Amino acid sequence: MATVPAESATSGTGTRWRFPIAPALSLGLPILVLIVFFVLPIVLIGVYSFYSLNPDTGLMQQDFTWANYERALTSSIYRNIFLRTLKIAGLSTAIALCLAYPIGYYIGAVANPKRQGMLLLAVLIPFWTSYIIRTYAWIGILQSNGFLDSALGWVPGLPTDLLYSRTALIIGFVHVFLPIMILPIYASARNLDKRYVEAAYDLGATPFRAFIRVILPLTMPGIIAGIVLFFIPTFGSFVTPQFLGGTSDVMMGNIIDNQFGEAFNWPFGAALSIVMTLVVIVAVTLFFRYADVEEIYGS
Amino acid sequence: MPEYDVNIRNVTKRFGSMTAVDAISLDVPRGHFVTFLGPSGCGKTTTLRMIGGFEYPDSGEISIGGEVMGNRPPHQRDTSMVFQNYALFPHMSVAGNIGFGLRERKVPKQQIRERVAEMLNLVELPTHGDRKPRQLSGGQQQRVALARSLIVEPTVLLLDEPLGALDLKLRKQMQIELKHIQQRVGITFIYVTHDQEEALTMSDTIVVMNDGRVEQEGSAEEIFERPRTRFVAGFMGAENILDARVVERDSASTRLKIGPGEITVDGPAPTGADDIAVVIRPEKVRLDVADGWTATVRDRVYKGSVMSYMLTLADNTQLIAEVTHDNPAHRHERGDTVSVGFRPDDLVIIADQKKGA
Repeated sequence: MATVPAESATSGTGTRWRFPIAPALSLGLPILVLIVFFVLPIVLIGVYSFYSLNPDTGLMQQDFTWANYERALTSSIYRNIFLRTLKIAGLSTAIALCLAYPIGYYIGAVANPKRQGMLLLAVLIPFWTSYIIRTYAWIGILQSNGFLDSALGWVPGLPTDLLYSRTALIIGFVHVFLPIMILPIYASARNLDKRYVEAAYDLGATPFRAFIRVILPLTMPGIIAGIVLFFIPTFGSFVTPQFLGGTSDVMMGNIIDNQFGEAFNWPFGAALSIVMTLVVIVAVTLFFRYADVEEIYGS
Repeated sequence: MPEYDVNIRNVTKRFGSMTAVDAISLDVPRGHFVTFLGPSGCGKTTTLRMIGGFEYPDSGEISIGGEVMGNRPPHQRDTSMVFQNYALFPHMSVAGNIGFGLRERKVPKQQIRERVAEMLNLVELPTHGDRKPRQLSGGQQQRVALARSLIVEPTVLLLDEPLGALDLKLRKQMQIELKHIQQRVGITFIYVTHDQEEALTMSDTIVVMNDGRVEQEGSAEEIFERPRTRFVAGFMGAENILDARVVERDSASTRLKIGPGEITVDGPAPTGADDIAVVIRPEKVRLDVADGWTATVRDRVYKGSVMSYMLTLADNTQLIAEVTHDNPAHRHERGDTVSVGFRPDDLVIIADQKKGA
C-alpha cells in the first residue's frame, strides 16, 4: 500500500460528495405524493376505525375498540347491503363485459389499423365530461316524460319510467365505466397474433371454435384487467346509486358516505371502508390467481 | 399418368395495385416434395396461403385432391400449414397443441392421446408432451409445429419457411429430417423458401418464382444444371452469366458470339431472339489453354481447395474461373495476362427473351 502513487490515493476524496438532486427529485416526489395522498389517508382511516364516539358529546374520541368492526360484520342490515352491492356490481360488470369485449376486440383486431386511433378516441371522449354530469344526463333520459319516455312511450309493454330503479343504476354504471373496460381488452386484442387464429382455422376449427379455444384464452389478460378495472369503482360507487338508484338499491358506498356525513359516525364509516377495501384486495388477488395470467404468457 | 394433389389454374392475386401472383398454373403430383423458391415478394408465400385458404384468388382456380376450392375457408380444406415462427398456441401444452386438430374433428379422447404419443415419437420428443411451447428450443418448437400439422393427415402439408428461425447447423439437420419424415408419411409437401441450397437438398420438384410468375419448374438437378432464364441462373448462384448472340444456326449446331470470340455448340439454338445468354460454371473455365481468349487477371481469391480468379476479357466481359490443384508454378498474379477457354459442352444456353433480372 505504501507504493500507491499519491494521485490515486487522494482521488477517492478528490471529488466531493454532492447531494444527487435529480434522482432524489424523480424518485422522492412520486413517493411523497403517494404517501400524502394514498398511504396517509388509508392509515388515518385505519386509525379512525378503532376510535369510538363520546356518548355525551357524540364526537369522535381516541380509543381502541373492535366495536365498529363487530357491528359492521355481524349486523344483518350491513350484510344484506353488502351482498346487494356485490350483486349490483357483479351484474353491471357482466353486462359491461358483453359490450366491452366486442367493441375492444373489433377496434384492436378487426378494424383497419388506420382507423384504430379514431375509434379509440370515440371510446375515450366521454371521459372528457365529468362523471357527475354524465350521470345527471341519465336522469333526463330515464325520468317519466324524459327523452326515453317521449320517444318510445307509445310502445306497449316497454318500461320507460326507469329512473330510480335497479335498471337505471346498472345503465349508469355500464355507461360511466365502460371505457376503462374496453381499453385493456382492446390492448390484448391488438397484441393477439393473427397467426394463432389462422393456425386454429387451419387445423379444422370453425370460427366459433377458434374463438373459444384460441382467441378467448389469449385475450384473457385483457378481460381480467377490464373486469377488475370496472368492478372496483362500481363496487365502491356512491354517486350513481344516489342519482339513479331507488331507495331499495342503497349500496355500501352510500352507507359509508352517510356515516361520514349525516350520521357523523366517522369511526364506523372508517371500519366499513377498511372492510370494503380488504374484500376488494382479497377478491382481486384470488381472481388473478384463479385466472392465472402468468400461465398464458409466461413470465 | 401421375395423380395430382394440387392443381393451380391461371391464378392471379392482387393486393391493391400490386400483383402478387400473376396468372400462375402449376400441378403438384401426389406424394411429391415441391418447393416454391424465390426472393421475398416473388409471390411464393401468397401462392401457399391461397392453397391453404388464407387468401382467395382474384381469378383462376385452385383444386385440392381434384376438388375445386373456390372461396372455401381453411377449416374446410384438407390442407395443413406449418407457419413461419410456428404459431404454437402459447396457452396449451405441447400435447394440447398437437392434439388440437383431432379435438376439432371430435376424435375420442383416448384415441387422441394415443395419436399424440405416436406423433411425439415421430418427431423425437416422446417426453415433452406436458411442457409449454415456450419451454422448448426453436428446433423442438419446429418439430411440435410439424407434428401438430401432420396429425390431421392432410392431403397436402404447407410449410412457410419453417426453418427460417433456426441457426445454420440445426437448419441443415432439420432439412434432412424433414425430407425423411416426408418420405415416411408419404404426404405431399409444399415448401416455401428463399434459400436455394435448402430447396436443392429437400425437393423432388423446385418451382422458381419471380415477380409473381413461375420462372422454371423442374427437378433440383434440372434447375441447377440447366437454368432456363437468366433469373434462375442468377438465383441458383451462377457466377458467370455471359451475353451471347446467335450468329449461325442449323439443326445440328449453333455458332455463338460470346464476349470477344465465337464458339460452336452442338444442338439447335433456342427459337426466337438471337440475343441470348450462356452460363458457365467457374470450375469449368480453363486457364492456360492453347489458342484461348486473352484475359487479364483483375483479382484473385484463395478459397482453400480452389483458387478463384476474377478475369476481364478483351471486350471487358467479366469472368470468374476456379482452379483446383493449383500448382504454385502455374499461379497467376494480379495484372497477368492469361489464356482462357471452355469446352462447348460445358456451356448452358439460356433463351433470354425476357432479358430479366
